[in-house]
This record gives sequence, C-alpha cells and structure tokens, in this order.
Amino acid sequence: MAEVEETLKRIQSQKGVQGVIIVNSEGIPIKTTLDNSSTVQYAGLIHQLVMKARSTVRDIDPQNDLTFLRVRSKKNEIMIAPDKDYFLIVIQNPSD
Amino acid sequence: RPRHQLIRPKNKNASEKYSKQHYPKDISPLVLTSATQELFGCCADRDVTRESPHKLLKKEDIIQDIKRRAAVSDFSPVKQIVLEYPDEELLLVFDRDFTYGQSFYLVITPEPPQAAVSEVVELERIKTPEPKQWISLGSELEIEEETVKETRDKLRYRFSRVRRKFGAPVCFSDRNTADAKDGHLECAAYPDSRFSIKQLQRDCGIQAVPTLQSSTKNIFTQYKPRDLSDQERESIVQSENLKNFCSSVTSRLVTIHNEQITNVFFDDWKDLGTSPEADDWSGKVSEGLTLHQAFTDQVYTKDRRISCVNWHPALYGVIAVALTEKKEQPFTFDARPSLIVFFCFSDPFNPQLLLECPDDIFAFEFCPSDPNIIVGGCVNGQIVLWDISAHVTHLQWTQSGGKKDLTDIKESKTPVVRYCAVSAVESSHKTRITDVQWLPPTFEVTRMGVPVENKFNTSVQVVSCSPDGTLMFWDVRLPRLLSQHAAERKQTSDEKAHLTPYSVPDTFKHLDRTWKPLFRVLMSQCECERECLFLKSSDRLLTCPGVNLASMPAGINDVLFCFSPVSGTKPLHCFNAHHWLVNSVQRSPFFRDIILSTGGWNFAIWKEGVMDGPLIFSHSSEQVCTAGCWSLSRPAVFYIGKDDGSIDVWDLLEKTSEPSQVYAHVTNAKITCIKPWSTARESRQHLLAVTDDDGVVRVFEIPKSLYVPSRNEVRQIFFLVFFSAFNYKNLKSTFNAVHTQSNCQTQEHNIKWKLMQLFIVHDLMCCM
Repeated sequence: MAEVEETLKRIQSQKGVQGVIIVNSEGIPIKTTLDNSSTVQYAGLIHQLVMKARSTVRDIDPQNDLTFLRVRSKKNEIMIAPDKDYFLIVIQNPSD
Repeated sequence: RPRHQLIRPKNKNASEKYSKQHYPKDISPLVLTSATQELFGCCADRDVTRESPHKLLKKEDIIQDIKRRAAVSDFSPVKQIVLEYPDEELLLVFDRDFTYGQSFYLVITPEPPQAAVSEVVELERIKTPEPKQWISLGSELEIEEETVKETRDKLRYRFSRVRRKFGAPVCFSDRNTADAKDGHLECAAYPDSRFSIKQLQRDCGIQAVPTLQSSTKNIFTQYKPRDLSDQERESIVQSENLKNFCSSVTSRLVTIHNEQITNVFFDDWKDLGTSPEADDWSGKVSEGLTLHQAFTDQVYTKDRRISCVNWHPALYGVIAVALTEKKEQPFTFDARPSLIVFFCFSDPFNPQLLLECPDDIFAFEFCPSDPNIIVGGCVNGQIVLWDISAHVTHLQWTQSGGKKDLTDIKESKTPVVRYCAVSAVESSHKTRITDVQWLPPTFEVTRMGVPVENKFNTSVQVVSCSPDGTLMFWDVRLPRLLSQHAAERKQTSDEKAHLTPYSVPDTFKHLDRTWKPLFRVLMSQCECERECLFLKSSDRLLTCPGVNLASMPAGINDVLFCFSPVSGTKPLHCFNAHHWLVNSVQRSPFFRDIILSTGGWNFAIWKEGVMDGPLIFSHSSEQVCTAGCWSLSRPAVFYIGKDDGSIDVWDLLEKTSEPSQVYAHVTNAKITCIKPWSTARESRQHLLAVTDDDGVVRVFEIPKSLYVPSRNEVRQIFFLVFFSAFNYKNLKSTFNAVHTQSNCQTQEHNIKWKLMQLFIVHDLMCCM
C-alpha cells in the first residue's frame, strides 16, 4: 500500500504533472489523483488506444512489444507506461 | 438341419425382449436335474453356457428317457409335446438368467420363434447392405483431369562411344550451365498474388456493460463504466504484482519525463544562414574586389575613352572594347583608325582581334544567338555589322593560352576584321548612335511595329537610338526572303567556310550600304531632345503572340520613360528623376520589372507599373554616377561607377542607405562602363570588367560574399525592399487600422511584421 502511494506521490511531484492514474488490464482505474469523471474518461479511452498500439507493434513483429506510449497535444501530454497487468497514465503539461 | 443351424446365439437384447413377454406359447420352461443333464450332455455351464445355450436333443432320446424313468423323468411334463413333435430334434435352451422361471426351456414348436428368426434374419440383412447405384456428380471428370497420364511413350536413348574408344580413358570436365545460352531451363519462384490475403475485418472490444434492463422489453439501455468494488481495489493495491509494476514503471517514466523533445529534423548549422558551400572555405577569403587583370594597349587603346565593353558570350576570358576619342570633335586629325579591340586573358597587352569600323563606335553588342555577329552603332549614325566567325578559332586558341610562334608570319600581326555591312547613310540616324541592342531571340517586330513570336529563335533584329529623337528597328535578314530565313542563313554560313582572314565575309552582303531600318519610332514629342539617349532592352521579354507585352525603358537626360512599340510613338510613362544625363539603364536579371538607372548624382531603382516614382532613390553623392549594373548572381547587389574612378558596391540586404563597399580611385579617370561576367560553368570566378576614360580595362574578381546569394535572397529582397517600398502608402493606412485592434494575438503578430516593414521603408525614405 505504502509503495503504491509513494509512487504516486513521487510522480505527482514532478514538474508539470497534472494527474496520475493506475489502470488494470481491463481498463478499470485502480488508483488516481484526478476526479472520478476524468479518471473514468481517461481510463476508458486510453485503454483502447494502448490496446491498439500494442497490437500494432505486435502485428508488425510478433516478438516485439510496446514499452511506452506518448501522446503530445497542443495543451498537454499524456504518457502511458504499459505492463502485463496494469498501466500507468500520466497527464502533464510539458511547457511548465 | 439348416433351419436350426441358422440360429445363432441369441444376444442379450433378444432375451431381454423375451423377458418382457412372459411364457411365449412356443416354449416350455423345464427343470433338468444334473443326472439328466449328464445323460443328455447338457450340463449347465459346461456343455451349455450363457454364450451357447442351445442344445439339440434327439426326440428318440427324450422318449426313451421318459419310458425308462417314467414320472421321474424331467421331461414328463412335456411328454405329450415331445410325442407330438414332428421333427427329430428338439431345441433345448439353457436359460441361465431364469427369464422364464427355470434353468432350461424347451422349444416346443417346430419352427423356431418367429421373433428370434426374424430378428436374426434382419440382423443379417442389416449387416450386409447392398451397394447403391453410383450417381455421377462430376467427380470422375475431376479425377480424370488430375491424374497424371503419359501422353506419349517414354523415349529411350542409348549413348555409346565409337567402338575403337572402348576401354580408352575418359576425360570428364565440368561445365557451368550459365556458360551456354540454353544451358538450363528454370522455373523461377515468384510470389503468387492469390496468396496474399488482406485482413479487412478486425474484432475489437469495447468496454461497456449494460446495467439496466427493463423486464418486458428493452426500451433503453444505459451504459455505465465498469468499476471495482472497494474490497477488490484494496486487494489489488495490496498485491505484490502492483508493487512490482510501480517500481519498474516509475524509473522508466521519470527518465523519459525529464527528456526534452527536440526536433530531430532541424539542422541548426544550415539554419545559421551560411553560404551553401560551407565546406569550401579556405583560409584566405578576400572580401572585396580584387584586381584580376588589366588590359591596355599602347597603340590602340591608350588615351582613348572606352565607350563600351562587352564580354564575349561564349568564350571565357575574351573581352571587347570600343574606343572613341576623348574630345568630342567631329573632325580629328588623329590618324588612328576606329576599332573594336578584343583582349584575351592570356595576353593582357596585345589585342587579339581588331574590328575595323567606319567611324568611332559608341555602342556595340554581340548577337545573343550567334556570338560571331556583332552590331555596332557609329558616331555618324550608321549601323555596322561584323562577322568574326573566321577568327573564332584564333580567339579560342589564344584564349586557351596558345603561345604565338614568332616564326609564323601570319600569326604575328593582330588580325583585323572589316565590317560586313553598314547601313545606308541617308536612312540612318542623323547624329551619333548612343545605343544598340539586339532584340531577344524570342520575339521579333514586324514592319508595323507589332511584336510577334520569333519562330527561328535567333536574334535577327536590332534596335538603335540616337539623340535625333528616333528609335530604329533593323532587321539583319534579306527583306524579301524573310520566310526563308533559316535556309538563307545556312547557305551564307557555308559560304564562309573558305575565307582568308583579310577578306570580308559575305554574311551581310545583302545589307551593305543599302540597309534600311525596318521601321522607326519618333520620340520627339516629349521634350527630351538632349544629348544622350540610352536604350536597353531587357533580356527577358514576355512573348505572347497577339498581345503586346514588350516595353523598353529608355533613359533620356533627366527623364526615364518606358514605351511599347505598338502604341507607336507615345511613351507610356515619363519620369523626371535624374537631374542630368541618364547614362545607364538596366533591368534586374532576377526581376522582370525592376530597373536600375544611373544618372546625374544619383541612381534609382524603378518598378514597372509603379507610377509614383522610383522605389529607391539614392541620396546625391559627391560624384557623378557614370555607370551602373546589376550583379548577375545576387539580386540585392549592384555596382555603381563614379566620375572619380571609384566603384560603389551596394548590397540592399546589408545596407539600404549607403553602399556596403566603396573602392575609391580604382582608376584615375572616369569610369565609363561596368559589366559583370559569371563564369559559373568553367571556374568559380565571377568577374567584373571596369573601363575608364584612359583606355584601360580592369577586370576584378568578385569575392564570394558578393556573388553567392544567401538563402531565399530573391524572396527576401523582393519582400523587404521592393514590395514594402511599393506598399508604403497602403501600409500606413493598414497599420492605422490594425493598430486599433491590438488585443488579438494574431493581430499582434501582424503588427510586428508591419512595423518591421515600416522601419525598412522609413530607412529608405531617409535617403530621399
């Protein structure tokens, strides 16, 4: 418990980070620093994106796998670190 | 008894069937004692078993047994039946399961039970069904197709050597199949397109689970995102798996988070704006004009004013100058003939070719489509034509540095070429010709003055102007054979083949002394009958058959105006800009409508179509500007020659109010002509020829900074200087309008740009 909390705190304290979400492999949020509605929205949408990205990578080379996904937009940046069972979503504002 | 032998051991199913029906009429349960069993050889579990419960008993034996043992006999209950039995044998069945209550039963009807027989027969029938008639569905055709059959007999070959070689040693060698042309046939593998299947459909899952369902029918379905209960969450959070995940991911994330994203496609070095050949810089780079060579000749050029200089368009290092007397006296006792002198880089002190002129030449030009034809305008108003094709080889030879052989008498003297044709005196200009220009090869002018497309793509017409107020168009072709121009030319060129250096080529024999202008334009309407009249036609005139787009700016005295031949004699525009003589007018080689003019104490840059005045007008310098020309490779650079022999190099991108470089006192005399030459093909030299009043031609080497254009220089110059200067008035009004709405961010950007433009224009305005 303490480790997870500590992780979240550590990431949250980085420069420009707006929110951190931990999601399980089905897209259900486990831990979050954002409000509920945003969390749910992010989790659902990003989960689909990660699945798509992962299948893309693996289709091209079945021995390859997705390690990191980064989506830059005009206003902020979303960084996703996928894993076997969970993935971590970090929303940050890079110009800060 | 075949009937009995048909009977097979009854299976369990049959006996089960019987158990359902108690005591069928045709059997009779029987108890047999062991003695009887011994007697008849049907001991239970020994002679008759479950598997083979049947035993045939002879009727006689049974009857004997009954007789012998009478009432004790087991068969006594069935005595009557046995006696009445028709057959000789009876069937005894061992009933192990006591289905009929006893351990044995006797089949008392002669025929075996119908059910058993029928079943047995039916079983047999089922077991061996008859094959159905085969219906052809086409499969035999397919098989027929696929079978491999021999189409012909196998061929047999028998190889043997001649008999005498039998037993002799054999020599085998290898041969590559690729050596012989048809050494082998192969069937190459190729990717078959039938096997590439594209995946057009894909399954993907969406996370949405309906939560509410009405019982009767589904009126609406509401979706709610899946969520975990608190306990589940707790358990996951506590799990080891999540802890590992967190630790592994955090390190990765933090390092990536700290990276700065750079644009990998951006080349900082290139963007610095250095010259394109960044790798070509040697240690010593001269920043200014360096003197490359100076040409002068004691005999011919000394103390004479050079009125015109031209580079040979085809040969590198050959320069021609026209010389006139310094003092403008119509009659001079100077016995020196009028000449155009050709110099070559390899020999700066001896001219290579001399062109004899009827009189002093003020202006001459090489024909753009044929550099062997030269037209010149004389002091007396006549037009002169030369053809130097006979001497081109000589020029080339000397240009390549061939040493003169002193023993060869023929080569020791400089060849002199006499003019091929000169115009008729009465139809030429009345006073001196100040400028001649070839019309570009793309168009020509008819007798009526209408410019039409030139089908032959050779320059055939010349324009000349003179202070007598006329502009004359000359055509070098035979007047009546204009249509057969090409053929004519070819013929005349063939005739030139065998000529000695001192005879006159026949090229323009048809014109000699009878040459009349094609048509003439009178310019005397405008109040500009003054001394010098210069005419320069542009290198690139638009050609549109039927539509006149040709215009030639002519600078007169203090007036600069443009006119077009079709409109006849009326000039299109008239500007009074220079306060004195306009001595050079030139279009920019990069922009069709930008013209540089020098005259008096300033120079001006004009844009065609702008009626208000020049775009840029320099402030008056102390010296009279006597010559000006654009740089051939950089749109922002031009050179101005002065009265005191100095050269100003202007770079509009660097400074707009003063020259970027000043070379004072390059010569002691007035600079009369500046002409650049770019030899980009052969060497990296860019040269500038500067001529003066003393008969010396100086050739300068232009430094890289002045001939290598910066990136987008054309665009920069266009927008920064010409466009903004042109738009100054519009700019001011828009600036005021925009200034009032300065809150919007995009407007801000626009304002900044406009401010910048304004500053530049302001700079320029200060010059005026």
